[in-house]
Amino acid sequence: MSGPDRERREGGLRDDARLAVRLWHFVRPHQAWLWGSLVLLLLASAAGLAQPWLLRLVLDQHLAPGKLEGLGALVATFVGALVLELVLRSAQGLLLEVAGQNALLDLRRAVFRHLQRLATAFFDRTPTGKLIGRVTTDVEALQELFASGVVTILADLLTLTAIVGILLWMSWQLTLVTLLVVPVLLAVTIFIRRHVRDAYGVMIGRRSRLNASLHEKSSGMSLIQAFRREADMRADFGEDNAGLRDAELRTVLWESVLSTATDLLSSLTSALIVWYGGGLAIEALGLEQAAAELRGAVTVGVLFAFLQYMDRFFGPLNDLSLKYTVMQSALTAASRIFELLDQDQVLPEAAQPVDPGPPRGEIRFEGVTFGYDPAQPVLRELSFRVRPGESVAIVGATGAGKTTILKLLSRLYDVQTGRILLDGVDLREYALHDLRRRVGIVPQDVFLFRGDVLENIRLGHPEVSEEEARAAADQLHLDEVVARLPGGYRELVRERGANLSAGERQLIAFARVLALEPGVLALDEATSNVDTRLEELLQEAVATVMGGRTSLVIAHRLSTIRDVDRILVFAKGRLVEEGSHDELLARRGAYWRLHSMQFSEPA
Amino acid sequence: MPSKRPLLEILHRYRWRYALGAVCVVATTALRLTIPRFLWSGLDALSVAQHAQGTLSAAELSRLEGVVARAALWIVLAALLQAPVRTASRLAVLGASRRVAHDLLQRVFDVLLRLSPSFFLRNPTGQLMSRCINDRNFVRGLSGPVFMYMAETITLYAIAVPLLLSIDARLGGLALLPYPVFLVLARVIARGIQEEARLAQEALSDVSEKVDESLSGELVIKTLAIEDSDYARFDERCRAYRRHNLRVAWLRALLTGSMMALAGLSTTLVVWIGGPRVVRGEMSIEDFGLLLTYLAWLAGPTRTLGFVISSMRRGLAAYGRIAEILEAEPELADPPRVGPAPTVGAGALSLRGLTLTYPPLSEQPHLSGSLPEHLVGSAQDRPRTVLRDVTLEVPAGTTLGVVGHTGAGKTTLARVLARQLAIEPGQVFLDDVDLCDYDLAEVRRHTGFVPQEAFLFSATLAENVALGRPDAPREEVAAAVRAAQLQQDLDQLPQGLDTLLGERGVNLSGGQRQRTALARVLLLDPRLLILDDTLSAVDPPTADAILAHLRPFAARRTTLLVAHRLSTVRHAEQIVVLEDGAVVERGTHAQLLALGGRYADTWRSQEDGAAQARRARELEPRGEPS
Ligand SMILES: Nc1ncnc2c1ncn2[C@@H]1O[C@H](COP(=O)(O)OP(=O)(O)OP(=O)(O)O)[C@@H](O)[C@H]1O
Ligand SMILES: Nc1ncnc2c1ncn2[C@@H]1O[C@H](COP(=O)(O)OP(=O)(O)O)[C@@H](O)[C@H]1O
Ligand SMILES: [Mg+2]
Ligand SMILES: [Mg+2]
Repeated sequence: MSGPDRERREGGLRDDARLAVRLWHFVRPHQAWLWGSLVLLLLASAAGLAQPWLLRLVLDQHLAPGKLEGLGALVATFVGALVLELVLRSAQGLLLEVAGQNALLDLRRAVFRHLQRLATAFFDRTPTGKLIGRVTTDVEALQELFASGVVTILADLLTLTAIVGILLWMSWQLTLVTLLVVPVLLAVTIFIRRHVRDAYGVMIGRRSRLNASLHEKSSGMSLIQAFRREADMRADFGEDNAGLRDAELRTVLWESVLSTATDLLSSLTSALIVWYGGGLAIEALGLEQAAAELRGAVTVGVLFAFLQYMDRFFGPLNDLSLKYTVMQSALTAASRIFELLDQDQVLPEAAQPVDPGPPRGEIRFEGVTFGYDPAQPVLRELSFRVRPGESVAIVGATGAGKTTILKLLSRLYDVQTGRILLDGVDLREYALHDLRRRVGIVPQDVFLFRGDVLENIRLGHPEVSEEEARAAADQLHLDEVVARLPGGYRELVRERGANLSAGERQLIAFARVLALEPGVLALDEATSNVDTRLEELLQEAVATVMGGRTSLVIAHRLSTIRDVDRILVFAKGRLVEEGSHDELLARRGAYWRLHSMQFSEPA
Repeated sequence: MPSKRPLLEILHRYRWRYALGAVCVVATTALRLTIPRFLWSGLDALSVAQHAQGTLSAAELSRLEGVVARAALWIVLAALLQAPVRTASRLAVLGASRRVAHDLLQRVFDVLLRLSPSFFLRNPTGQLMSRCINDRNFVRGLSGPVFMYMAETITLYAIAVPLLLSIDARLGGLALLPYPVFLVLARVIARGIQEEARLAQEALSDVSEKVDESLSGELVIKTLAIEDSDYARFDERCRAYRRHNLRVAWLRALLTGSMMALAGLSTTLVVWIGGPRVVRGEMSIEDFGLLLTYLAWLAGPTRTLGFVISSMRRGLAAYGRIAEILEAEPELADPPRVGPAPTVGAGALSLRGLTLTYPPLSEQPHLSGSLPEHLVGSAQDRPRTVLRDVTLEVPAGTTLGVVGHTGAGKTTLARVLARQLAIEPGQVFLDDVDLCDYDLAEVRRHTGFVPQEAFLFSATLAENVALGRPDAPREEVAAAVRAAQLQQDLDQLPQGLDTLLGERGVNLSGGQRQRTALARVLLLDPRLLILDDTLSAVDPPTADAILAHLRPFAARRTTLLVAHRLSTVRHAEQIVVLEDGAVVERGTHAQLLALGGRYADTWRSQEDGAAQARRARELEPRGEPS
């Protein structure tokens, strides 16, 4: 119910740059939209910047001197600039959104694809809820970055440059005074950034934790209720929830500090302009008109325009520092996402997969030692051979390692020593996909997908037609079972198939594999929840369907395995006996002990 | 539309923070509005002086300097005053919004804790999670930034509009004329945004659900090599999400566009009409400048208003989805009562015509998006009866064996008795009291239920065993583990009892999981013991050993034993055979064998398999392995 909390410091400026480069990789395919948006934005900014200029002209040339002619044209230009800005800005926002959404889509796809590649061992120890959060919520956090990030920042920088240019042209003294504030702002931003970043790091860690906690608790809710642990779970969840809240409050604190600081700086600059610019203007007033014009002195119009430009200057500047903060949240999320993408617990695939020829169904384990934790072997020095077409049963106490053998056979894990050969080729030399198509495993833990029964049988194999799927299912007498469901083969299957009985689920999972007609069929207690009559029918069915193909059967009920060619008996990860049913009984060893108790009278 | 009550209640909790925030917003806004007065008075003085360029006296100039200096000073002062107030307002409101989001989520979780298993059956976990986390984030926006912007906008309007009108009522009024028209327009677009945002959030839930499914079914996807088709299903949902998001963006662009047009229109009107009046001397340049500045103040929030409205609508849409959970009714709840609550006695069970019918799909309550619409009205949209008129007496302390074909209704029966499935009253009696008249907790306290599929939490093995009694002493946990024959596996686990299990116990074998789940109830002292085919993944010798340990434990309790392996139930005082939800045979093992029906058939075929083994043992001179 608890996992290690990962809260740590990370990310210097250089890491940010690296992250930005990696993110760019996802944006690049959509850069056309971005550049389009940037162009529109520049045009829109130009149209926007023209407006105070035009108003200045209105003031200086018409209102102050009291001149009416030409005013109409000026106002019309002003309206034109306004409309232009509006249209351009709307269009620009849309283009940006398209680019952002496309990039997010690509990122989601990449993460999902990567998750598919990750080895089973990775999922053994990573909570699902946390990973769900990565693909949904954390990717969502990048929206801000994609949507307002790149383009707006570029545009802001350009706007800033343009404004500085205009300002310089209007009055360089005033401009220099104004720009005094920039280094201060920069210093403040960089200082606060550190804290903001840390705060977000903590926040995302806690959100993951909350996700995991919520996922597990809703999955196990009926158990929580049955064992009346509601109060504890509530407290447990409350702790995670409060943890997230407190982390969020810290981010609010630092954001507020930064926002106040930038605001203060911009006001101080306005004051500076008024005071210093006013002084310059007054100085100019003391001069003759001609002399003033000659020296390009500061006029009231200039001052007015200057102040208006200051707004437009500080807008993006404040924005930049705020955005940079917002981006910290996105960058933190991005770093977690990339961490997942960098997770390299992937089973190495052969660079040049061997073509093993047509499937024969020969399996050979040669000195296989394996442990989920290498220090603790589950299978030890295991060697056995299954001949093509043979049917072999694997028996042993629970925990003996039977399921593990099958997991190794479809290469969900790699062996630590020794090797496993299928049709004479080491599993590691197969293309994973080919290997897994050759081996059909009906797993012990049935998993059904949301959809309907037939979809679950055909699962992802368009080459299996609906008829074939039905045929495979009918062979397993699934028709008889499915007939009881209101929807028949189209019956709705809910999450994990929880609206079906355990036996029904097993049958569907069974039919699913049989429909693929694999070269090797491996059944892992595939009928443990099925009634005896059906089980016997199934056995016959499998015998006909598989006729001549290799099968591996793990089962506890003796009736299920008595007809196999050979039986392998396992104990604690070692092969202790092998032979036919009769041979083994005659030997009176482990197998005999394992099964003689069935149906025995209690002492 | 779900009720906003819960949200309002939570908001109410933080009313003082919001009030403080609002006051601070008003104060900062007011302070900010005084700045143009000073700015313009300074500029106006200068601009008047500009007419007298070059002819100004030194005294005149130094007066001007004073005016300018005062303006600058005031700006600094206002800024210094503003800083703490602004910080306070942000901290108050944004802080409150995080608290609101927290409280809301806690409330949702409280509701989840009360909801019946059927709710979790119908609504996939991934979808619930998305509602809890992703929708929560938008509600956070609604109760924080949106509130602040709104407060700021309203204050600005409240201050700037009268000022505007006081400067020049006609011109100011004219400038404000377009506002009502645009606000009506905004409402219309906003509604579209809300609906589209809801769809987008739903699509995100679908993505979340798919990720959950693909990760949970990871083994199956790998072994069947269906990565590509699984990816395609994921991709489809992501695309749907993008599509809805882009539609939201379209509408938002429309909204912000019209808001910008509104701001521009007002300014244009003032320049167009006011400009000539200034020239004609009917209006001072100061007034004109102030008018423009106030309009500019208004234009800022008006422009962002589009964004604010769309965030607000998205927040409301998200809240609606959360509220749906809050409004979900648990199917199982404590009955209303006046007198004292009945308590469970010895545990005598009596089933009197128990019938259980699942309602048709379309009549089962679903959260929006969880019910596949195409099935509504289809052939399978009809009721399904899974238990038919089951009548049974199970005296206290006896064992009832339940067998039957796959899908016969055994699990359903077990879950009814464990109070996981709702039934009509008057059908099941525990100690002669209707099961429905008990408080849920009372029945659950006295029931030890081991479901067919063992669910383990990602905690240590010991914590999992002690699920029902977290404070159980270590020796008792160990004893339960021994009784469930789990002891023999402990040396295979890295830390024995303290091994941390993966999700759902992935790092245990199937049989180990089942035995852990069994050990859980052995640690309890239930009156009613319900074991639903809990030894199916356990090898026969181990199963026999478990049953041997179980027998004395079960002897003192009313026990329901579901199994396919008949050897498990043969010693029960009473065995029933279910077929299609109805009891078709009943009696003791011997009676059923004598009856020669289904039970006898099954016994024979299972017996047949063991016969050879038994023969072999009989041949063994000193046979009996212990
Ligand atoms: N929530 C549900 N909605 C509709 N039908 C359901 C639901 N849950 C179970 N069923 C159906 O009710 C029938 C009885 O299910 P139940 O799980 O009780 O069978 P069972 O006897 O335990 O079978 P098994 O031996 O396979 O475990 C099944 O056909 C199943 O599909
Ligand atoms: N994913 C895993 N991670 C760690 N240990 C595991 C994992 N799966 C199984 N084990 C351990 O390996 C041993 C063998 O398990 P398994 O092969 O499932 O047994 P069975 O013979 O019952 O099928 C058990 O002790 C089990 O606890
Ligand atoms: Mg197993
Ligand atoms: Mg069942």
